[in-house]
Amino acid sequence: MSSERDRRERSGSASAAAPDDPLLAVEDVHTYYGESHILEGVSLAVEEGETVALIGRNGVGKTTTLRSVLQLTPPRRGSIRYRGEELVGLRTHEVASRGVGWIPEERRMFAELTVTENIRIAVPKGGDPEAAIDRAFETFPALDERSDAKAGALSGGQQQMLAIARGLVGDNEFLLVDEPSEGLAPQIVADVADAIAAAAEEATILLVEQNLPLAMDLADRFYLLDNGQVVKEGSTENVSPDDEELRRYLSA
Amino acid sequence: MSSDADRREASEEASRERHASRGTETDGGTTADAEGETPAESDLPEDYGSGLSWPARYAREHVPHLVVIALFAAYPFLHAFLLESPVSAEAVMLLPDVDTMTAVLYFGLFAMSFDFISGYTGYLSFGHAVFYGTGAYFVVLTANGKVPFLPYDAPFLLLVVLGGVLAVVLSLLIGVVSFRLSGVYFAMITLGFSQVLYVFVRDWDYVGSSPRDGPAVVGPPDATAPAFNVGVPGVDALNLAIGGLAGDSVEGLFGFVNLSSTEVTYFMAGLVVIVCYFAMQRLVHSPFGRVMIAIRENEERAEAVGYDPFRYKLAAFAVSAFFAGIAGGLFAGVRRSVSPDNSLFFLVTGDALLASIIGGFGTLAGPLYGRLFDESVREFLSKEGAGGGLLPYLRNHLPEGVLGADIFGGLTVQEAIGAFLNGHAALYIGLLFVLFVLYVPNGILGTLRDRLGATVAKWAGARLSSGGDGASASPSGED
Amino acid sequence: MTALGLDPVVAQSLVDGLGQFLRPSTLFSVLVDGLAKSALFLMIATGLTLIFGLMGVLNFAHGSLTMIGAYLGGLIMVLTVSQGTPNGTRLAVFFVGLFVVFGVLAALGGVIEVGLIRPLYDRPPIYQILLTFGVTLVLDELVRIVTLFYDIQPVADWQAALGTKPTWFTDPVDLGLASVRGLALFEILFGVVTVVAVWAFLNRTRYGLVVRAGSEDSEMTEALGIDVRRVFTVVFALGAGIAGVAGMLLMWDKNWGASVPLAAETLLPAFVVVIVGGLGTFRGTVYAALIVGLADAVTTWWFINVVDLTFLPEVVVFAILVLVLVVKPRGLFGLAEVGGH
Repeated sequence: MSSERDRRERSGSASAAAPDDPLLAVEDVHTYYGESHILEGVSLAVEEGETVALIGRNGVGKTTTLRSVLQLTPPRRGSIRYRGEELVGLRTHEVASRGVGWIPEERRMFAELTVTENIRIAVPKGGDPEAAIDRAFETFPALDERSDAKAGALSGGQQQMLAIARGLVGDNEFLLVDEPSEGLAPQIVADVADAIAAAAEEATILLVEQNLPLAMDLADRFYLLDNGQVVKEGSTENVSPDDEELRRYLSA
Repeated sequence: MSSDADRREASEEASRERHASRGTETDGGTTADAEGETPAESDLPEDYGSGLSWPARYAREHVPHLVVIALFAAYPFLHAFLLESPVSAEAVMLLPDVDTMTAVLYFGLFAMSFDFISGYTGYLSFGHAVFYGTGAYFVVLTANGKVPFLPYDAPFLLLVVLGGVLAVVLSLLIGVVSFRLSGVYFAMITLGFSQVLYVFVRDWDYVGSSPRDGPAVVGPPDATAPAFNVGVPGVDALNLAIGGLAGDSVEGLFGFVNLSSTEVTYFMAGLVVIVCYFAMQRLVHSPFGRVMIAIRENEERAEAVGYDPFRYKLAAFAVSAFFAGIAGGLFAGVRRSVSPDNSLFFLVTGDALLASIIGGFGTLAGPLYGRLFDESVREFLSKEGAGGGLLPYLRNHLPEGVLGADIFGGLTVQEAIGAFLNGHAALYIGLLFVLFVLYVPNGILGTLRDRLGATVAKWAGARLSSGGDGASASPSGED
Repeated sequence: MTALGLDPVVAQSLVDGLGQFLRPSTLFSVLVDGLAKSALFLMIATGLTLIFGLMGVLNFAHGSLTMIGAYLGGLIMVLTVSQGTPNGTRLAVFFVGLFVVFGVLAALGGVIEVGLIRPLYDRPPIYQILLTFGVTLVLDELVRIVTLFYDIQPVADWQAALGTKPTWFTDPVDLGLASVRGLALFEILFGVVTVVAVWAFLNRTRYGLVVRAGSEDSEMTEALGIDVRRVFTVVFALGAGIAGVAGMLLMWDKNWGASVPLAAETLLPAFVVVIVGGLGTFRGTVYAALIVGLADAVTTWWFINVVDLTFLPEVVVFAILVLVLVVKPRGLFGLAEVGGH
């Protein structure tokens, strides 16, 4: 596991981009499930090259925020702009083809498809599937060994690697990562953290994570969600996972 | 916030997210809103009827029901009156016959029982015809002396109830197996059960000489066919026979009213249907009904809160089967015959489905109106001579020139009407069905309830009480 | 045997029947019959399972589409073939007709999907079932109107169409062990071709890859930049096309024949096959079609030759459905999660 300081340095340099052109600008978004008001005016911004963490207790709307960006659960009010373009009103596949990748909670591999096929299907039209597969296996050699296995047969950690590889395919520049460490053993979590850090070198990341130390480690900034709203935001530099206020919001 | 609330919210968000992607979440247009029922809802405030006795209060809470019953009761007289009036030709064309209305009643009951399970729990009972058919065949077979332990002239109402009980037994057997599944699988397996019985009865020699055509009520070999009486059991004077030519006619009621046997059948069937409807309605508006709705909205949550969905589903299924069986028995009593195709075939359930969509799923009374609409349109477009309809009217009233006019290729207007309209009501009803599914998914009654914000009865009751008292006794405003 | 409470005469006929059944020639002809039925069920069920697997829509109109294919195919044959047309020509016309029927039915399917089913994506799945049920009512009645208009009885098998078969298929074919219907062999051929073609489509083409992925998780598929709705339309159209082709085959088969009730007659066994196999899995559909087809053939032989219970085949088929659902609620090869939008 590379040192915390190394990781911070790598991502730190990338976040020197101009602050008035966020890659993703979420403004006062209200999203509902049926009649349940989940997001009650969420606003956040992610600069190009950054890794931003979205933290908060279960049920506050972290996953819903990601889904709202992707228009999987379209917001009823508010605006979400990616590179200045309004995403609200687009179909999900249109958002995805603008370079937004999704690494969802529970991985959501196509269990009946092979590892190779899982990567292949992520290649956009006009792309080069073979090149994408080669690149993926280069970055994640463990996947190469199981390339013909059905994705459902992989271990949790391997599936997470595959999910990240799939997210990177097609030169996606913005990754929405949802709880990558969930259900994984600590040693595997370390490998996953490395993979995400490596991904952060090529892409901007919005990361939802319950594992506070991991989130603080990987991210440059964080937003704390409670009851469908952002209640606290800041840099992860000087914040410790034992911080009183954070603990209060995050404790069960 | 307590940790329990957190955990519930967490599983709620998670399950919401799962459900949203599968489209099973309630949307604004579903019947939950139309029904307007929540566990916390209470009946109208007690104070608005101060000084009124309970029958008066009950009446106030059920004004729309009384109005509808009154309209149905007045129909035969209205129909007869209009037939003698200057608009008699139009009346014949547009208004259904009284015996069609009787069919609306008993099939409407069947459709209501279908809605009871499918609309309120969300479990589509595609094999519901099996209960209808059970009730019908039970009546006919008993009347023909073919059911052991029962005399052929057993009281009709008893047969109807027993038929319902038999349907309940069947429903428990089917339900125990089928409720292990849900959604499409449940629908298909219940359809499977009903088709098996259909195919079996269609070839079962015991029911009659020609099982494919179905048995008629002829009585046992050594006796005449019994009459089917509806009324107060044991009191001869209050018992009237129903069923086409075999029914009683009544003269001199209230001094001046004469009722033909068709009309007597209509009223007696109506009585049975009213009683059954109110029984189902009581259940739907009771805690039991609220659990049914909870199961439809979110079965996992209902279970988490402590109810055993399996038991409730089975119970609801049994209730719906009971009334479906009664409807079938009533049908057999009126028609005095039954066939596999008009009682057990899956299209019979399809007709109930149609009635429910047009009337409104999850409204209980909706399917009755849906069936009324269906039968009216069918009769309107029926083959000539079979009870009025468009073609005879046009033939009598359009000038020869128009009728004989060429539309294209030698096809006259008259021929076109004959080829495309007459006897093809199913096409237009099917089109209407599709349109309703697309644009009026809550049906007529459901949409009305959406507009009013509550059931028609509650709305009317509130209007009546606030109108006089000036109190703001408005119905709990569901959105 | 009498200990079982069976009448000795009945018992004897059962034993005799068994003896007759177990003869190689009987077994062989029943096998061929069964495989032919399996092929037909497979063709009808394939579209259903692809559509349900991908979209979660149980297409009630599928039987009607098959029926329209039968009538359309019959129309093509009746218009082009006459008494003296040689067998080779008849077969050639049939193959051309297949393409036409496929095209027309696929187009019809596409229109239905875009126009009627798409608006219901965001509603609970029950509405799609209801909608396709309504479409069936409309289609069936339309066909009834048209056939009556041309003086064809909608309820009876279309005899004229049946008569357009080449004599290769009307005359029995001697295969040594037994004599079988030529048409049965033709149907088996189609079944094999269907299995190979669909398998190749699913596993060797990109579109097939998308269909397989979408059947598992259509939301994730869409999040990968794929317009899943367009895929829905294509799959629905394909399914309709295959159903139409199946119908055209049925038009020639005197056990079925082109008639409006064909819609219901094909729909119910198709549902059974799809559900027994597992909604959304093609492999399951193939196995289930074999099971159901063979069971149907065996029980039909028994009811014709031994036991006078005409309902035996249907009862056995539905019994298989109930049994499988009780033991394996998702079907033999069913996936845990299916479809969605």
